Amino acid sequence: MKVEFALTEQKRARLKADKLDTGFGSFRNVEVTIGKVVDDDWDEPMGPTPMPDVTTLRSWDHKLLTRYRPAYMPACQLCCLCTFGKCDLTSGKRGACGLDIEGQSARIVLAAANIGCAAHLAHSRHMVDHMIHEFGPRFELTQGEGVEIEAPVARLVTGIRPRTLEDASAILDYCETQLTHTLSAVHTGQEGSWIDFESKAFHVGMIDQVGMEIADLAQISTLGFPQSDPEAPLVEAGIASMDPKKAMILAIGHNVVPATYIMDYASETGVTENIDIAGICCTAFDITRYDAKAKIVGPISWQLRFVRAGFADVIVVDEQCIRTDILDHAKKVNSPVIATCDKSAMGLPDRTDDDTDEIVKDLVSGKTPGVYLTDHAKIGEVVVKTAIKMHPKRKKKGSLPSKAKIQELAQACRQCSECIRACPNDQPVMDAVLAAQEGNLGPLADVYDECIGCARCESACPNDYELHSWMVKAAEGRWKQESFMVRSGRGAIKDTEIRTVGQPIVFGEIPGVIAHVGCANYPDGGRAIHDHAEEFAKRRFIVVFSGCAAMTVGTIKDEEGKSIYERRPGTFDAGSVLNVGSCVSNSHIAGAAIKIASIFAKRNLRGNYEEIADYIHNRVGAVGISWGAMSQKAASIAAGFWRLGVPVIVGPHGTKYRRMLLGRADKAEDWMVWDARTGKRVQVAAGPEHLFYAVENFEELMVLTAKLAIRPNDTAKGRAIKLSHYIDLHETYNGYFPEDVHSYIRRETDIPITLKDKIHAQMKENKWKEKPIPDPTLVRRLVYGGNGGGE
Amino acid sequence: MMRAEPWQSAEVCGPTKAQSIKKTAVVGALLKKAKHPLMVIGAQALTEKTRKKPMIDYCIELSTAGNIPIVATANTIKAFKEKGFDNAYSYGAMEITGRLQDHDWMVAPKKGPHDLVITYGYPYYMEWLMLSALINFSQHIKTVTIGRYYQPHATWSFPNLKKQNWNDALKEILTTVGGAK
Ligand code: SF4
Ligand code: SF4
Ligand code: SF4
Repeated sequence: MKVEFALTEQKRARLKADKLDTGFGSFRNVEVTIGKVVDDDWDEPMGPTPMPDVTTLRSWDHKLLTRYRPAYMPACQLCCLCTFGKCDLTSGKRGACGLDIEGQSARIVLAAANIGCAAHLAHSRHMVDHMIHEFGPRFELTQGEGVEIEAPVARLVTGIRPRTLEDASAILDYCETQLTHTLSAVHTGQEGSWIDFESKAFHVGMIDQVGMEIADLAQISTLGFPQSDPEAPLVEAGIASMDPKKAMILAIGHNVVPATYIMDYASETGVTENIDIAGICCTAFDITRYDAKAKIVGPISWQLRFVRAGFADVIVVDEQCIRTDILDHAKKVNSPVIATCDKSAMGLPDRTDDDTDEIVKDLVSGKTPGVYLTDHAKIGEVVVKTAIKMHPKRKKKGSLPSKAKIQELAQACRQCSECIRACPNDQPVMDAVLAAQEGNLGPLADVYDECIGCARCESACPNDYELHSWMVKAAEGRWKQESFMVRSGRGAIKDTEIRTVGQPIVFGEIPGVIAHVGCANYPDGGRAIHDHAEEFAKRRFIVVFSGCAAMTVGTIKDEEGKSIYERRPGTFDAGSVLNVGSCVSNSHIAGAAIKIASIFAKRNLRGNYEEIADYIHNRVGAVGISWGAMSQKAASIAAGFWRLGVPVIVGPHGTKYRRMLLGRADKAEDWMVWDARTGKRVQVAAGPEHLFYAVENFEELMVLTAKLAIRPNDTAKGRAIKLSHYIDLHETYNGYFPEDVHSYIRRETDIPITLKDKIHAQMKENKWKEKPIPDPTLVRRLVYGGNGGGE
Repeated sequence: MMRAEPWQSAEVCGPTKAQSIKKTAVVGALLKKAKHPLMVIGAQALTEKTRKKPMIDYCIELSTAGNIPIVATANTIKAFKEKGFDNAYSYGAMEITGRLQDHDWMVAPKKGPHDLVITYGYPYYMEWLMLSALINFSQHIKTVTIGRYYQPHATWSFPNLKKQNWNDALKEILTTVGGAK
């Protein structure tokens, strides 16, 4: 019997069988359409590309990739992915499969984006399946009041308006299919051209945005998270916010589901007052979205210091960004580890079918250092009971050595420099150890400030010094004081907020939307993120945060002890600093840009990706920033922004993504657009100049952010405002008036009034001529009146 | 003198490895032969010192003696301007790495592509990648890095040097181009 199951384009589920045996008898050639998966009340017409395949949007990608050519920086020139190899691809040589270094470099980009997308998508799938199990497939999805467009990315990409968990699941089916295709392209002997590898990376980045949006929509709808709430609660963060008198449960990772069962069990059994539950990385945000009394320890890089300081009476890990050796560190401080996710079972025994009290007994006695559990209810009970029993037993005992012990151990330092060579941030670890020989722990404490907690220095040290612990001990006085307020994740941006700011953003009068996302692989501590956000909020940009960056920005306090979240409103408006939530919430930032096109410009978004991306690229001055980008997820998040034409800046460690997307401001032919009103080709200024760029330092970040907010569609007023920020920051950090201002002046009215003389002089010197201000598009078919006709 | 091996751990490169500069005369010869040399200088020139002076001063001396234009990346340009040095041009480090892959591109209005690039002043891993781009995609360019640590992706690099040896080597290079006092 051949049975086919398909979701039709209209999102009806269809079952087709040539012969079907049922309790009622045997039927031939059956075709059943099972209800409507999605209501058909949506009167928005379907655009040209619902559920695009891998190559459907290829021509759009190629347009972007022609303007923003990839600049590859291979980490090495070898490929060792198949048994034909290793192959030497240096300087134009080809591997046995025919691939060259450009192709291989683009393949690495695609591989990273695939991995990142897979991590989010698997998280999303788990979330949706779990919620369907809990609440049923017809459970309705919502982003709360004031949000009609509940899933702008999914609507744009798939043409589906997800109303229920069942719809969400159907959308994930589509995403999973696409990921399988883009992943398969990495196999030896499939794709060979750099531009098509890149196009596939864009595709999977777009799919990633859908997956993230569905994950967050599902958890917001079911778990009582703040729903598009600008006043999402301020929550306590930092080590000093933990109460040492309480049993402490530390949750690490990204998937909040297990932690919700822990919190539920604690509250059902009336022990909430006896425990602190705190999180590291995105689970931290999501537990506070579930219960504002939960606490945030800090970003991903704080795992080791917190565990070694001995706070955690139980460590619960779910998925993504967990230290893979967490069990070893936990053992040293006698903290049992509960692994809760199939992605990271940590080599622990699966005790799901065992009696709860037996499991607790074994954990508390130390018979087993940890367990793997898949039953959420059991996780809740085991974790809470274990924490309460461990608390008096452990007495918060950490593994940090005493200061005297550090001094004593330091005497044997071999001055081999291996610790420095291992440090990704080139910290003067050895010098700090030598100072410690004399009893001066100041330099070790200074290293702590710029340390990302990777412990590579320890692994390298021939004396097996626990150098990171030494730094943590040396800086004890600092982190023991560390307590700050962070705004919990608000979720999506309201349609009503978009109505207010859509026009000023598109006209350039709100000079830009800055999205700080991602990890904590900072080159010199996290202060840069705060200073950047503060400066641009002052300049009336809208500054949006998600993920670890959203925690880091809260760590800096003003003279009154207030964090940026306490000083600035959480609305989506000029001068605000808002936190959308965890990593998956960053899809709301793309969502906001899409909603501007839909709500303000009244463009159809249903299955209409290219037009909306073209709109955003030419009109919405959004800039993504990931100062500490580390993961493959950050790569796929960036890829999603690239396909929307939104530029992304990463910190210096981001060079290790090994490929930039660079525009050439000096090549006029690269900056041609169609004027949608006249159908003519028009040259515009280089804005945004680059699509992916790793800056060298904070100073470059400041100048480049302002510059990348420029868009062809800026009104004269908007352009003047954007230029004045660019000029001012350029003068501050580069020390002189930028030489390319004239290229951004289209008409006299674009000139910021106070800078008229200087700009006029520059215009004269460069033989400036007035230029038209087009209604810009890169897509010829979008010229009004059909003047275009495909391209 | 320490060994010519990558300074930062795990930065293991491919089959092509920079030649280790054992005699500084090599750099002098390269500079003499080069038609359109260029220096690409990053922000560590503002903080790292040689012979008690910040490296930016050394870069100016070398540039002046050899008549080599400088691309100063990020905010490094500010310090060059403040010192009244006018042969420096502002580009981002990634930008210049991209531009140098274009055979027709030159920083100063002269003819022909750059054929020799001297780099200095970046985090180790960043310079590693910049040089890798040039090795693979700018085969018309030879690269010399004058930082203290061995960069295998350059054409020529010092081995990992002790501070004093590095100071001496830099001074010798300056002498070969007729710049040391
Ligand atoms: S995938 Fe191609 S380049 Fe890589 S090892 Fe195999 S044959 Fe060589
Ligand atoms: S733990 Fe800190 S000091 Fe040690 S290598 Fe990592 S970043 Fe450097
Ligand atoms: S690696 Fe260890 S022994 Fe070597 S210098 Fe560093 S602290 Fe000393």
